[in-house]
Amino acid sequence: MSLRVLNPNAEVLNKSAALHMNINAAKGLQDVLKTNLGPKGTIKMLVGGAGDIKLTKDGNTLLKEMQIQNPTAIMIARTAVAQDDISGDGTTSTVLFIGELMKQSERYIDEGMHPRVLVDGFEIAKKATLQFIEKFKTPVVMGSEPDKEILRMVARTTVRTKLHEALADQLTDIVVNAVLCIRKPEEPIDLFMVEIMHMRHKFDADTRLVEGLVLDHGSRHPDMKRRAENCYILTSNVSLEYEKSEVNSGFFYSNAEQREAMVLAERRQVDERVRKIIELKNKVCSGNDNNFVVINQKGIDPPSLDLLARAGIIALRRAKRRNMERLVLACGGEAVNSVDDLTPDCLGWAGLVYEHVLGEEKYTFVEEVKNPHSCTILIKGPNDHTIAQIKDAVRDGLRAVKNTIEDEAVILGAGAFEVAARQYLVNEVKKTVQGRAQLGVEAFADALLVVPKTLAENAGLDTQDVIISLKGEHERGNVVGLNHNTGEPIDPQMEGIFDNYSVKWQIINSGPVITSQLLLVDEVIRAGRNMRKPT
Amino acid sequence: MREIVTLQVGGFANFVGSHFWNFQNELLELAEDPEADPVFKNQDLNMDVFYRYGETYQGTPTYTPRLLSIGLQGSLGSMSSCGTLYNEGSSASSSVMTWNGNVSTQASEPHKKNLFLQSLYAEEQENDIQREITDRDIVQCLENDVQCWTDFSKSHYHPQSLYELSGMWVDAQKFDNYGIGRDSFCGGLHGEEISERLRFFVEECDHIQGFQFIVDDSGGFSPLAVDFLESIADEYTNVPVLLYAARGPGSLMDPLSQKHRISRKLHDAVSFSRLSSLCNLIVPVGLPSLSRSKASNFLCIKDEKPYHCSAAYAATLHSVSMPFRMELLGPSANSSYACGALTVNEAVQMLSGQARQNMVTILDAAMPAPSLTGNQVKQTLLGSLQPLTPEISDHVEDLQSVASMTVHGVLGSGGQRASISEVKDMVHSAYEHAITRPMFCHLSVAQCPLPIPLPFPSIFSNHVGQHGEVLGTPIIGSPSRGSLDVHTIPMAGRLRSSSAVLPFLENRLGDLRKFGFARGGVGAELLRSWGFAKDESEDMAETLSKMILELNPHSQMSSDSD
Ligand SMILES: Nc1ncnc2c1ncn2[C@@H]1O[C@H](COP(=O)(O)OP(=O)(O)OP(=O)(O)O)[C@@H](O)[C@H]1O
Ligand SMILES: [Mg+2]
Repeated sequence: MSLRVLNPNAEVLNKSAALHMNINAAKGLQDVLKTNLGPKGTIKMLVGGAGDIKLTKDGNTLLKEMQIQNPTAIMIARTAVAQDDISGDGTTSTVLFIGELMKQSERYIDEGMHPRVLVDGFEIAKKATLQFIEKFKTPVVMGSEPDKEILRMVARTTVRTKLHEALADQLTDIVVNAVLCIRKPEEPIDLFMVEIMHMRHKFDADTRLVEGLVLDHGSRHPDMKRRAENCYILTSNVSLEYEKSEVNSGFFYSNAEQREAMVLAERRQVDERVRKIIELKNKVCSGNDNNFVVINQKGIDPPSLDLLARAGIIALRRAKRRNMERLVLACGGEAVNSVDDLTPDCLGWAGLVYEHVLGEEKYTFVEEVKNPHSCTILIKGPNDHTIAQIKDAVRDGLRAVKNTIEDEAVILGAGAFEVAARQYLVNEVKKTVQGRAQLGVEAFADALLVVPKTLAENAGLDTQDVIISLKGEHERGNVVGLNHNTGEPIDPQMEGIFDNYSVKWQIINSGPVITSQLLLVDEVIRAGRNMRKPT
Repeated sequence: MREIVTLQVGGFANFVGSHFWNFQNELLELAEDPEADPVFKNQDLNMDVFYRYGETYQGTPTYTPRLLSIGLQGSLGSMSSCGTLYNEGSSASSSVMTWNGNVSTQASEPHKKNLFLQSLYAEEQENDIQREITDRDIVQCLENDVQCWTDFSKSHYHPQSLYELSGMWVDAQKFDNYGIGRDSFCGGLHGEEISERLRFFVEECDHIQGFQFIVDDSGGFSPLAVDFLESIADEYTNVPVLLYAARGPGSLMDPLSQKHRISRKLHDAVSFSRLSSLCNLIVPVGLPSLSRSKASNFLCIKDEKPYHCSAAYAATLHSVSMPFRMELLGPSANSSYACGALTVNEAVQMLSGQARQNMVTILDAAMPAPSLTGNQVKQTLLGSLQPLTPEISDHVEDLQSVASMTVHGVLGSGGQRASISEVKDMVHSAYEHAITRPMFCHLSVAQCPLPIPLPFPSIFSNHVGQHGEVLGTPIIGSPSRGSLDVHTIPMAGRLRSSSAVLPFLENRLGDLRKFGFARGGVGAELLRSWGFAKDESEDMAETLSKMILELNPHSQMSSDSD
């Protein structure tokens, strides 16, 4: 293995010890993440050595906050984080699924079975499950007007696994409307066009959708208006500051007058640029009391600010690069890279622009825009860790809506899919497989049940009862999931519990890959001394 | 105002930075202290260049460094990542308002504050119970145990300033090569968040003159810095970057295995080549053994302690940065406290764009700088300036070399601080009598010496007096002296563009060719695993060889390539 070359000093363990070490690491990670899963999971408050607080119910965030040292655990964690990067959700399920595949394998291997046989079985089962998911999925028709109700249900399912119901339900409409706002027909959805902004708020948590844009800075001149109505918006990327232009090597020998002259010449160029902007302002604002706002990606220095302020223009500098795009989508017009391109057509429009000051922090709201294709989700919370956790939930919600629109399908949740897939594997697939690889298929099928089992366990229910009743219903042809309040079977369709198709697909696809790698390990490197010896 | 935003990336860079901010903090305090030496009152140094005004949520005004520091998760020790000022009172934080279900709290063992931090904290709380902690205890405790750069930091930091890289899953020792940090900027949302924080500091600048960028380029932080620099070049195209590539003692120790050694050499070559192509001036800092170098003539350094080495480097960075905050006076005006103001851009232009395009610069220091009279110990200023840049040649005659020198706090006759003009005259005459002279040397002079703050390590030899004067006879009984004995230090720091840096460049190019280009060799494989295709490796060699050619048009190295 190439790993070995990288670390020749590492101690090489024998095969079986190595295998068990991998299994133990997988189980260990599973144990840590298990309590996270589902709407009845446990939220974790992590307090660092210096008292910093992190709050999370998300597998992805939790993994990143952990200082994982075991190489096997790191491999699994990377798979789970990749799961989040690709599909935006399902990290906890991924870790649980891998852990469970390893656990199931352990049983067979201890009975003397070769890992290769299991891995072959996994491969067959994975293929079959990915085929099954195509049959199982609930198609969602995405015409020009997407079915908002289904989007809401998917978003709600996801967000309710992160925030309590009242907060979650407040967010549901927000994330759905945000995605619909930025969606362009026939184009992939770019979630970056939804700005997520946060603000401190003394007591409670509150989130709202701003149709328009919230910027985290304000104008830098005392005479500029803090509030203006009926505003032309100029989105620009033009340097409005004196920049020490590249001087030639003779610079230090030239005399003071020459130097002064150069400085003046450069200043004049900057002033000229400012003057062109003022010209445009005068053109469009003459004879009406409309206002003019410049939002610039480059700098604006005090002399330029002075000129602009005197002309009654509000100006913001060093706007985020992404806001150039967002502003144009929100307000219309186009972003200008040179003052030579200035025309009234470049200008966007906002009914209201105002500044909000909070200590040293300033926010500029650009609102009341026409027909926006970009928007801002504004999160207020009493402290950083609460804000951060809500932000994570918002991201999850946005991803869930985007996925649904792009997948044109959803999957019944609450464990329904996993139980159904298991039944399919055991009843239909297993018998088509020759020899002992059958056992691999069976192990895979049983491992799928880790999701409903853990959901039940976290809800304080008897897992065995729950699994028996779920299996029974499925045998009778009823596709049901778990009611986490009662433990009774429920119809996820009726309850509106839907997961993303692409998330489930990705879990099924990536889990077995890493498991196989870990099972087929010939030798494992004992890197560091942090690992417990298998006993 | 010509603001500078400082960036510190990686372990040792933050050690250097911590000392650097301690000096600034000390200067600020001394300027306000009625009992302090008047030389600290009128420094004619504009601290706003490095600091910003702000306000906490409670409305308390703040004055904090324009700083973005990046380190591994856990590298902040007992300091909260929100810094020390904007704390929100812990009472509000304990309840969870976003979840009705179970909550499990996992608290790490709290980091114990050391004596120094305890006393800082007590001072702020005006809490007299802790008063028994003496300065001597504090100095002792820091000498014995410094783990993190925060252990000896007396500066307050803004909550946007301290960024921890989470989710890396490596311990600091193993974060030691270019490959391992490759995705750290782009991975997850790190790059995004880091850029946003930088934007926060830049937006409030009326007229930013440059970035002072210190990177610990000994390992995984170097690719992070490369990606970060790339995004800076994109976003702030005309803002010059003055880059210090700083190495701590640990990174220079000899690795055990051959494989590891190759990895180290390739890392050094790759890291330098990539970094240098993304800044305006690069200054390699960090000697394999500072203690045994000539720069330590009057120092008593323990090489294995980052706390020690970083102090000397930080002092020199402070000196070199002084011209950037001297008030820009009209040509006729004359300050009796400081002269020789420069902007970052001017310094960069001067050093890299005079006779030739050389952007690698040597850092020299005289710590302490000798007094003008220097009667007891025969010592000259030019002679006492010694390199802190590794792998450079001692004696070279380079008629095209260019230098920018800052001399501050130097003592004149009778132990008085020398006047600006005295220092100027002395330097001029020194250069006149020197055997080798640079083509051009810019001189900045200030009266204000380097103040030695309490948490500064005991790294002065027993030849150094209270005001940094060099003593004829050593003080008996103390092998090393620290902040309790030495209060100020006259300093000279110099940035030098010279062909003396050729060995540094040639070693890197040589290693890259030797290990990186051998077909089927370990090194070539390594480079591939770090994400460099063959042509990219060749480009890096090309960059290095161009730099060599610029300094030595007859170089053998630049021509032969395989
Ligand atoms: N109301 C509900 N009743 C029962 N099960 C539910 C309900 N809502 C969601 N689930 C199930 O919870 C699981 C998702 O839980 P959760 O979001 O905590 O973990 P994850 O998506 O695997 O990982 P991540 O931590 O990345 O979100 C899915 O299997 C989903 O079907
Ligand atoms: Mg989820």
